[in-house]
Formats: sequence, C-alpha cells, structure tokens
Amino acid sequence: MHIRCEDEIKLRKGGTSRCAFYFTHVCLFFYFVCIPSVCACCFVCVCVCVCVCVCLSPLQMEKVIVAMQDPDMGMKMRNQRLLITVIPHAMTGRDMITWLIQKYCICEEEALHISGMLVRYGYVYPLKEPRSLVLRPDESPYRFQTPYFWTSTRWPASELDYAIYLAKKNIRKQGELMEYEKERYSVLHKRINHTWDFVVMQAREQLRASKQRRKADRIVLECQEQAYWLINRPQPGAHNVLDMGLERPNNLSARVTLNQNSDFYKSEIETCRRALGRNRVKSSICLESFVKYSEQYQNHDPIMQGCLPSNPWISDDTAHWTMNLQIVPIPSRLRVERWSFSFMELLNDIMGRREFMIYLEKEFSAENLCFWQACEDIRHGESSRIVEKVEEIYKNFLTPGAARWVNVDSKTMDKTLKGIRHPHRFVMDDAQMHIYFLMKKDSYPRYLKSDLYKNLLAKAIVPQETKKSVFPFMRRQRHSSPSPAQGDGPAGADSAAGPHV
Amino acid sequence: MPLVNNKVGDDCTVGTDQALADGKALVDSLIKVVACYRQLASCVGGCTDSLQLRDELRQTREKAQMLAMSICSHLTSHLRNRSLPEGQRKEMELLWVAFSSSLELLHVDMCKVFYVAEIFALANTDALVKTGVQGGGSEMVARALSLPDLNQTQSPTLPAELESQERSTMEREISQIDRMIDDMEMKVNVLRWMVEPHGPQRADPLSSTDSSSLGLLSVDEEQPGPRPLCQRSQIFVLLLMSAVVLVSATLSICIVFFS
Repeated sequence: MHIRCEDEIKLRKGGTSRCAFYFTHVCLFFYFVCIPSVCACCFVCVCVCVCVCVCLSPLQMEKVIVAMQDPDMGMKMRNQRLLITVIPHAMTGRDMITWLIQKYCICEEEALHISGMLVRYGYVYPLKEPRSLVLRPDESPYRFQTPYFWTSTRWPASELDYAIYLAKKNIRKQGELMEYEKERYSVLHKRINHTWDFVVMQAREQLRASKQRRKADRIVLECQEQAYWLINRPQPGAHNVLDMGLERPNNLSARVTLNQNSDFYKSEIETCRRALGRNRVKSSICLESFVKYSEQYQNHDPIMQGCLPSNPWISDDTAHWTMNLQIVPIPSRLRVERWSFSFMELLNDIMGRREFMIYLEKEFSAENLCFWQACEDIRHGESSRIVEKVEEIYKNFLTPGAARWVNVDSKTMDKTLKGIRHPHRFVMDDAQMHIYFLMKKDSYPRYLKSDLYKNLLAKAIVPQETKKSVFPFMRRQRHSSPSPAQGDGPAGADSAAGPHV
Repeated sequence: MPLVNNKVGDDCTVGTDQALADGKALVDSLIKVVACYRQLASCVGGCTDSLQLRDELRQTREKAQMLAMSICSHLTSHLRNRSLPEGQRKEMELLWVAFSSSLELLHVDMCKVFYVAEIFALANTDALVKTGVQGGGSEMVARALSLPDLNQTQSPTLPAELESQERSTMEREISQIDRMIDDMEMKVNVLRWMVEPHGPQRADPLSSTDSSSLGLLSVDEEQPGPRPLCQRSQIFVLLLMSAVVLVSATLSICIVFFS
C-alpha cells in the first residue's frame, strides 16, 4: 500500500521538526544562561579594571628601574652565592615590593602588580626559576637586566639573532635543548638556510669571546641572554607580552579611556543594566531540566527507541507512517501519552486539539480554545485578511454580551481594545497569552484527569512488532533496533489490545 | 684559460683563488670583531660602564668599519666580474651573505649602543644599572684588534664636548653602515635564497675539539642544592681516613714500644 507523497513528506517533516523542536529548546536554555552571564561578567570586569587602574609604559618602567639604582635611596642589593662564585647585585622579591611601597606610597597590591610587570617585560629577571616570569614576594632572588637587552620595539629580536642564540646554546649544552627550542632551531635552519654558515661561525666566535671573561661574568651574561630570549621568544603556551605591543596599554589593567561621547556610554550603561536584569538560570539547573526533558522524550524518539511496528526505511513496511498520520481513527499510545507532557504538545497535535475541544464543550468553556485558535490564525495568516479577522474576533469574543465572550482581565482588555483601532498581526497577543495560561492552568489538568482522556489512552493502539517467521521457531527482526517499548515480546502484545483496523 | 679582460682587476684563476682566500680571511675577522663588539655592547648602561668601556667600543667599532669597507670593495668588485667561474662565484656569494648578515648585526648593535649611551650618560654614574657584571672588556678588545696586549691610555675624564663629538661620530658611522648596506643591494644582485651553505649544518657540538672545550664551560650553577651534600660527605671521608691513619700510627708505636 502506498502512502501518498504529500503525506509521506509531512510525516517526515514531522520527524525532523521534532528534532528541530528539541534543538531550539536547547538553544533557548543556553540563551537564557550564557548571554546574560557574559554581559554581567563584562560589566563586572570593566568595574574591576577601573579600580586597579595601573598602566605603565616602557618609559615609565625604565624610570622606575633607574630610580632603583640610586646608591642611597635605591634597592638594597645582596650577593648571590653559587658554589665558589659570588655574584653581587641580587635582590629579593620582598625587597622590591617594600621599596616600591615606600618610594611611591602605594598599597601592596599595586606594588605587586608593578613589580610583576617589571618581570614580565624583562626589566628584571628571576634567578631561581628563570622560566617562570612571575614576581614572588618572598626570598626568591632577582637581578636587573642590562639595558642592552631591554625589550624594545625599535629593534625587535631578529630571526638571525635567535638562530645564533640557539646555536650557542646547542654547542654549550651539547644538544640538550628543550623540545620547543629544538623545533624552532630546525624551522630556522630551513628558513635562513642561506646564512647558516655565518650563524654557526658567529655562535662559535661569541662563545670564544665570552671565554675571555671571568666565570662570574659569564654566568651573568648567560642568564641575561636567556631572560631576554624567554621574553622575546616565549615558550609555547606562555603569555607573550610583545603580542599586544609595548606601546599599547596592557589589556589586563587598562585605564578605561574615555574617548567616546556621552551618548555612547549612556547606551552602553543601558544595555548592561538590561543584561543584568535579564532572567538567568544556573547552568546546572538548566542542564538538569534538559536531562529530564530528554528522559521524558526518549521513549518517543524513533531514533533512540526504534519505532513500532517496524522502521519503514528498513523493512519497507509503511505501517508506522499510516498509523501516525495527522488524523487517524485511533491514535497511537505514544502519541496520546505525549499530550500529557505539556499543553503545547496537546495543542500542536490536531487530534489532541480536537479531543480537547470536545472536552471543553462538555465543560462549557470551548470559547477559550476557539478564541485562541482564531488569534493563532491571525498571527500566522495572510496579511490582507488581518483587519477582517480582527473585526470578527472582536464581534464574536470581545464585545460585552457577545455569543462567545472570553474572560479577559480588564487591563488586557483595555489594551487590546485600544490596539484594535489600529489592527496588526500581533494586536491580540496579550489577550491570547492570557487565555492560553487560563486554559493551561485550569482546563488542561482537568482534561488529563478526565475520563475522556483516560478512555482514549486505553483505546490507543500499541502496534505490534511485525514478525514474519519463515520457519516456525525463527523470528526475523523487522526493524533496525530492538524495541524495548514492546516490553515482553509477543505474549505482552497479545494481552494488550490488538491492532484494530 | 684565456686572459680575462675586465675593468676591475687583472686576475686569472689563480688570482681569484687568492682573492677568495683573502675575502674569507677578511670576513672571518669581521665576524670575530662583531662578536666582540656585541659582548662589549651588552655592558653599556650597566655597572661596568665607564669611559674605558666606551673607548673600547669605539676602537672595536672602528676596526669593524675598516674591515667592512675593505670587504665591501673586495666582494663588490669580484661579484660584478661577469667572467668569474661558477664555483668561485658561489663561494663569493656565500661570503657576501655572511658579510651582509654581520653588517646587520653590527648595525643593530651600534644603534642600541647609541641609544643606551644617550640614556645613561656617564656624568651620572649613580644611574647605571647594577647588572652583576664585574669585569671589564679589555681582553675582548685585545682579541678584536688581534693585539697581544693593549696599551691602556687612561683617559679618566672626558670633557663634555668630546662626548657629544663622540655621539655625532657614532651617528655618522651608523648612517654610513646604512648606506653601505643599501649600496650593496643596489650594486650586487645576489639571490640569497639560492645560496647553499656548506659546513656543519646543525652546529654539532662535538664536531671539533674547540667546541667540546666550549661545551665543558657550560655553566649549570643554578642548582647549588645537591653539591653541599657531596662536599660534606667528602669531608667526612677525609676525617675517617685521617682517624684510621692516626689509629694505625698509634698502634704501630705501641707495638714498637712493647715488643
């Protein structure tokens, strides 16, 4: 038996629209969580940044360094004791912070921040853990970087320089470079291959030249160079201060520069205020409801649960589609169960709506549903007929003393009546929403408890899994996935109401 | 091999070999001088900065410029010689590439020194950054100038006019190097990416005795932790041995006395 093409398409669209329906729900959940929280975070961040407004340019940092060199009022210097060598001019993190606090009369937090910047931009380098460019406010030693190696955008570190440095390191450490250094070394080798002889020769010469120095100086010079390259060619994953450019203010502590006019800021404030006022749901709660939703609908999903009687795409048996047409004599059980999930489910299903209408007629409140339907018709109907439709609704439902008068509260009624004078597509929205909630809170729960619904549920078809046994004791699987919805096999199916044709 | 008739020289193949060797020697010394200059330049603005250092820098710089000029004329003349045999040309191009790279380094170093020297004028020695370096660079200069010993003409105080003169000289020299680099690009068309280097491709650390001795100089003194323990154990062993020696000595004396 052939299903007509249009019906087939509608059924299939129904399936995909269900998926789209679930998807839009997910999007809505996340919309209410993510975007307002992001707006709120930005707002908060802006506020925080304004508080800790420290912005140092390289020139200012250099001035601080020079001020630290003063023999009387400058930093207290200690000696760094290595095995046999003693190297002067070391200082502890704690000393630096104390000095900054005393000299500039700032709080400890700001001093930490400034000294952190000095380390990050390479004016001071750590002696104990050279690769971690942070300032520890304790006894960890630091030393000043020589001005030759101060970070500068005028003479950025070139590939040639880096290649020479890596070559030197390679020779000195006899091949024991770090992984990322080895990679960069080979990349450079390819890139500036033409000058590689020069690189190797210059590296050797520089090492020979440094041999002329005493041991302590050699150590210092090596540390200086290493610190310079850790900043100019940072490890992968490390924060690269040069990316943002030294001239531009540091993103993390930018002074909020007011270079827009006041209207811009007024609108910004308004947007942020609105964002803060938006309803937000904790993501854990949001996800919980999503999980509950998925659990509820899992049995109804043909992909997850398999469909009865069989998957038409596999078994070429279109019974499933026939049984789930929009209007059938007897709906399937799953379908009737879905009506109890939410009011929208009931209304979206034509058969459900019909059943609900029958029930409401019994309760003498059918005008609500008629009104709602008429409003939906306006919203989704043709623009040319809006005016006449609104007129009709007004005549039938809203005039006092009308045949099917709906009970709308006075405020909404006033608003709607005012809007009717200039009718448009959404003029009935408030009234429609009011009636919708009325039905949902009042009639719908009663319908679910009513005999009408329960009888329908009992009568509903639970299709049997079709089996065509060629041999008496063999059962051929007619659909792709087993159907736990069936329960306990043929015995169960027989006891339940068999398929009525 | 017919006599090559070119405008710039009258060399035949033997002559060009010699020219190649000369060029190589010159470029090698330039590389050496540039390395020394860099070592010296890294001390500018630091606590070892002094008139002596500036003087040393000046001397090294002058030597470098001298070398640069001679190499420039030498290489330019040979590379513009169209009748240069292919192998020789390749070698010359290699030298040329090395020369231009050294000039780049020298230029950057000179600019940096100029800039830092401006910030850290020697009149105010209090502002010099305490970098931890203690020694001077006289050995460096000696190496650069290839002199066994350097007669230090001590000029402790440099009048202010001479310092500014020094600065303007530097400016001039920097622009001179700039122009040299530009001229080279104009006059000689060497396709850098076509140049193939030979020699150790990865600066193999153990390729020569020289580099292995350099390797042994590696300073890994940043972890002084475990070493004191070794020292302590050594002292302990020494004490133990001396105690054993003492005991054996007393025993032998006792034996001698009582036997």
